[in-house]
Amino acid sequence: MNILIRMRKAFAQEMPFFMALPAFVWQMLFLYIPLICVVALSFLHINQQFSLSSLTLSNYGMLHNPLLWAVIGRSLLLAFCAACTCALFAYPVAYYIALHTNRFKNICIFFLILPFWTNMLVQVYAWFFVLEKNGLINTLLLNMGFITEPIRFLNTAGAVYIVMVYCYLPFMAMPIYSILDRFDKRLIEASLDLGATPWRTFLHITLPLSYSGIRTGFFLVFVPAFGEFVIPVLMGGGKKMFVGSLISYYFLAALDTHRGAVFTVISALILLIVSLMLNKFLKWLINVFVGKGY
Amino acid sequence: MRNIKIEHLSKSFRGDIILEDLSLTIPGGKFFALLGPSGSGKTTLLRLIAGLETADSGNIFLGNDDITKTPINERRINTVFQNYALFPHMNVFDNVAYALSIRHVPKDIIEQKVVKVLKVVHLDRFIYKAIDQLSGGQQQRVALARAIINEPDVLLLDEPLAALDLKLRERMLVELIELQDQLKTTFVYVTHDQFEALTVADYMAIMNKDGCIEQVGTPKEIYEFPTSIFVASFVGTTNIITGSLSISVDQADAIEVADLGKLAVAVPADKSWAVDGAKVAISLRPEKIEITKQEQVGFSNMLRGTVHAIVYHGRSTQYNVRVSDTLVLQVFEQNEEHFPQEVIDYDDQVYLYWQKENVVLLNQ
Amino acid sequence: MEKTIPATSKALVVSVALIYFFLYLPIFVVILFSFNNANYPYVWSGFTLKWYQELWYSVEVWDALQNSLIIASSSVILSLTMGVLVVWYGSQSILSRFVGMFYGTLAAPEVVLAVGLLTLFATLTVELGFISLIAAHTLLGLGYVVPMVHAAFHGLNKSLAEASLDLGATRHQTFFKIILPLLRPTLFAAGLLVFIVSLDDFLISFFCSGSSAQTLPMYIFSMIRSGSTPVVNALSTIMLLVSSLFVLSFSFLHVRRLGWRL
Repeated sequence: MNILIRMRKAFAQEMPFFMALPAFVWQMLFLYIPLICVVALSFLHINQQFSLSSLTLSNYGMLHNPLLWAVIGRSLLLAFCAACTCALFAYPVAYYIALHTNRFKNICIFFLILPFWTNMLVQVYAWFFVLEKNGLINTLLLNMGFITEPIRFLNTAGAVYIVMVYCYLPFMAMPIYSILDRFDKRLIEASLDLGATPWRTFLHITLPLSYSGIRTGFFLVFVPAFGEFVIPVLMGGGKKMFVGSLISYYFLAALDTHRGAVFTVISALILLIVSLMLNKFLKWLINVFVGKGY
Repeated sequence: MRNIKIEHLSKSFRGDIILEDLSLTIPGGKFFALLGPSGSGKTTLLRLIAGLETADSGNIFLGNDDITKTPINERRINTVFQNYALFPHMNVFDNVAYALSIRHVPKDIIEQKVVKVLKVVHLDRFIYKAIDQLSGGQQQRVALARAIINEPDVLLLDEPLAALDLKLRERMLVELIELQDQLKTTFVYVTHDQFEALTVADYMAIMNKDGCIEQVGTPKEIYEFPTSIFVASFVGTTNIITGSLSISVDQADAIEVADLGKLAVAVPADKSWAVDGAKVAISLRPEKIEITKQEQVGFSNMLRGTVHAIVYHGRSTQYNVRVSDTLVLQVFEQNEEHFPQEVIDYDDQVYLYWQKENVVLLNQ
Repeated sequence: MEKTIPATSKALVVSVALIYFFLYLPIFVVILFSFNNANYPYVWSGFTLKWYQELWYSVEVWDALQNSLIIASSSVILSLTMGVLVVWYGSQSILSRFVGMFYGTLAAPEVVLAVGLLTLFATLTVELGFISLIAAHTLLGLGYVVPMVHAAFHGLNKSLAEASLDLGATRHQTFFKIILPLLRPTLFAAGLLVFIVSLDDFLISFFCSGSSAQTLPMYIFSMIRSGSTPVVNALSTIMLLVSSLFVLSFSFLHVRRLGWRL
């Protein structure tokens, strides 16, 4: 009898561990193990069983192909430009809502985040509808006589860029708004009281103190934008490949999973390295313009 | 009511030793105060008694039962938390009834008991109010009611009045004393405020910054007969005068003080360290000193000095008197009359008189 | 207070207005032309609801919607349950140190997650379909539920659980009577968020659904691929409406803060 009681007590004591376990198992099984599988896949030949001896670097030979690096470079550039543009657009809006609206604040916020909650495909479709050969812009311009032939907006890097900015704008706006909303407005008052102009106050007080929001937003845009699939495919056509569309091609179209794995691993690594470098760069940037400690 | 016996309790957090080999007996059925400065470990000790922490070594006994390993929810000890910890999603009734509802006590009995206990803490008009609609003092009473409804053996109070303003605090102290009298439960009251401790306690213990208990006794014992310089300074205000003991056959016992000469002391027989030449200090409470501009007779000690500062306290006036280059003594005089016969002012030359029996001799 | 902040310069107001214009012009146009009585959606030929009718009678749309709802609901239930368990019970066991693991989902680009999942399912030779999608969406859900619930849980007054135990409750009773009720707003918000994330998800569904289960976003994608028709406009309008409702209900839960901290 004693043993049973002791067993029950021991089980009761360890129960928290087992109750918390499912989530960890799920996370391991569906996130971390798959990632390991992908890495392992990149080191194996086609149809080979996994064993330590069959690991090979031969798949990595495909990295000699400059086209691959062009794709990665193109995606990096796109993501970077999109993030910068988003910052440029989102900051004034977030600033305005946080510091200049009172009665309309909730309405403005509602309309700012509504696109975020809308399905991205609907957002992309909206631009598709506007930019396509028979779309709104071309129809207007044709009817007004500004052009004689429809302009090809779609299937260009420009279209991808615009839609990228459009879809990711709320991602940038939210962290910036979050910081500015909690911003101590008395600091601005103090600065003005001490004689600074509004512009100087902004440059030296508001901007540096909200900079961490910009940094957060930058990566909230940059990281997903790098691997974006939908926008390049729908707006960019098949001609120019980006990382997302190329990975999809490897795995779903060409079924070349091993080379696809190599490309995925390399792209992820590059993303990580570039992100870390960009993080340092962004920190350095604010130091140069304003001063240390942001 | 059963005693609480704490034996050789030790507790450390991440390498910092909070309590080491601490032993204490808390008498049952009395109002016990645990007084000490912030960081002395008194809250830790309280939490160990409650079961919210487990000791590294040592034992805690409730009566004859060893409760060291008993889990919190099985000890018949309840706590009133410093921030009250009232359940925000329940109203007053549900908060107070909680201890009973989890034991599946029938609803009508719960209602009966809740109403009764709320009457005791004078909250019977607030039974169904939401917690956020109550003032600090009312919340505190709810916390109290919640903790006593189960009639625990011991009630632990962790600085319960810290968040209240002065007048409310003074009133609550009196109510707590009455409550304890009524319930006869052992109350263990932790505070850093010596006024609170002296007011409520039947017995008290003083803890110092190192987590050691310096003295245990009634408030009067501790105030009038402290056993160390720390206790003398921490509880109430005092003047500490250091010097060396001078004991000889042909002269009266005295303490030799720099710049001041000899001051008469009474050396109790039980202080075995009080030998000739020993480094000692005396604790002289400000209210035990008589301050006057005229010479008096009949006192065993006298010092002359200049009034350095005067602070008006309403009930009393405090005079800081410089008696030597290195020593300023504090004197309290009760303001007994509207128009005192003798008015003492800044820079006045005064005489300070006290009896040697009203002084406590302490080891340095 | 407003007067002391630098006077709103005209440039700021104009640029903000322009940005809102940029955000809503395409949407407005799409909504407008969903009512257009013409086969080619660039010339206004009168008001009609026939595209909505066509949507109503489309079997594929209802199938896709049904699939999406089933997957979303399952993901919400699974991720909320596991998430709450891991936060409460995890805090009492050694696993509490590994909570950081759950932040990995949001850190990686979605395409990497999709590829990983596809590889996993292929290696385990699991047939792609409902099960794989629910598994994947639950993973996404955990990535939102755990950080949110963890933050809310640690924002609770620690003394509350202690008080409950002190008064004689077991850990179970404390969890159900004290902790869970206090976490309810967060759980609602998290559940809503996971629901929407699952409904909206395209990339992972695209990779992991095989040919059997088509979700609503996948349907829209295939329709866009084949060129725009007013039916898509109608579907987009409806989805916009639904999103608005979601945002409104989210803000009514008084957890706007949490909504920002995704």
